[in-house]
Amino acid sequence: MSKKVLVVDDDPDIITFVVTVLEENGYTPLIAKNGEEGMAKTAEERPDLIILDVLMPKQSGIKMYRELKGDESLKEIPVIVLSGIAKRTFLRSQEALTEFRSQSVPEPEAYIEKPAEPEELVETIKKLIIE
Amino acid sequence: MGMKKLLFVTQFEELWFDALQSLMDLRKAGFNHVVFIHVIERNKVAMRRGKGYLKDEEVKLKEIANVRFIDWAEALYEQGMEVGAYMVVGDLVPKVVSVAQEEGVNLIVTGHHKRGRIEGLYAGSETLELLQRTSTPVLVHKYMLPSGKVNDKPFERPLFATDWSHACERAVEYLIDLKEIIQEIEVIHVASEKSLKGSSAMEVQKTRKESKQKLNEVCEIFRAKGIGAKAHLYVGDVAEQINRAVHEHGASMVVAGTTGKGPWKERWLGSIPRKLAEQSEIPVLLIPVQIKPAGN
Repeated sequence: MSKKVLVVDDDPDIITFVVTVLEENGYTPLIAKNGEEGMAKTAEERPDLIILDVLMPKQSGIKMYRELKGDESLKEIPVIVLSGIAKRTFLRSQEALTEFRSQSVPEPEAYIEKPAEPEELVETIKKLIIE
Repeated sequence: MGMKKLLFVTQFEELWFDALQSLMDLRKAGFNHVVFIHVIERNKVAMRRGKGYLKDEEVKLKEIANVRFIDWAEALYEQGMEVGAYMVVGDLVPKVVSVAQEEGVNLIVTGHHKRGRIEGLYAGSETLELLQRTSTPVLVHKYMLPSGKVNDKPFERPLFATDWSHACERAVEYLIDLKEIIQEIEVIHVASEKSLKGSSAMEVQKTRKESKQKLNEVCEIFRAKGIGAKAHLYVGDVAEQINRAVHEHGASMVVAGTTGKGPWKERWLGSIPRKLAEQSEIPVLLIPVQIKPAGN
């Protein structure tokens, strides 16, 4: 059975790109358009990997990532953050939230700044998904 | 109501990131989520003879907005805030109203889109149209003071103009919710000259006394919640007198309820919210009447 990868992004062009890359490499893509939908789909489908954007309507990737890593049953799912937002900003925002909510979260397993090259994306996915 | 989310409309040329930064005081009132919206007006990407829909133009305009939003979002994320963004094609006001509803925002921030007198008269201002279609308070943000300095504490000394309407009662509740960032409120009522006309001086004095008493009652509501408040009565043209009071009391913002008049009545009889939005040199927070859901 092929591995499931959840793509959380609000940009239709990025979704098309990532879904194409996933399908061409034998993965089953799942789609969510914001962090809220992303968490719901994660709980429902238990994907093997999540590819997560940051700046999205309703709930950002920063908040979803925090919720995910704070959930005992879901926190082991690896995450690739794929975003136009710099990694430094992502980490600093998590630090700021940790200061405020005193709950620290680990760094994401991988961080790719948009736009991603297909090869780079596939290589990172393969590293993180245990076949 | 805990203040949480703000919708920042970037369609208006006046609104830039320093305008948003000047509202950061709102964080003390529980606000921690900014949603950006940039609406690309249809005519900019509309079908042209021989060219069809200008998809390339849409992509270009969205990416220009995206570059700006990413930069702004990074600054806000690093402060531990939550940020969202919409870049959409369509008509400005309906898009803003629908995103405000979808996101459940507590405040819409716009600039004031200046139009020519005739164009404004026939087309109406976006601010006015927005107020007629949403229950969410709208801040027409003028963040640069006439002195050229940034008004970085706009909520510190609001001037609340009341006409005792339902929208004004909502405004009182809204201001109480912002008490962490308010130092003192100047509560004013502008009576029309007509309302003070009586057959005797006693009658005029009676009207004055009654208005002052009502103003004091509003002030007492604020004081009971720990917000300083002073009452002032003015007479004359509403928008003119509000602007006069702003100068006399060194207010940092004007707060007013909207009348709830229909669009045509507002347009032809003159709209106080629109006049305030156009004429005021400081930010104007307009509280609309609660719109009842369809079928009620």
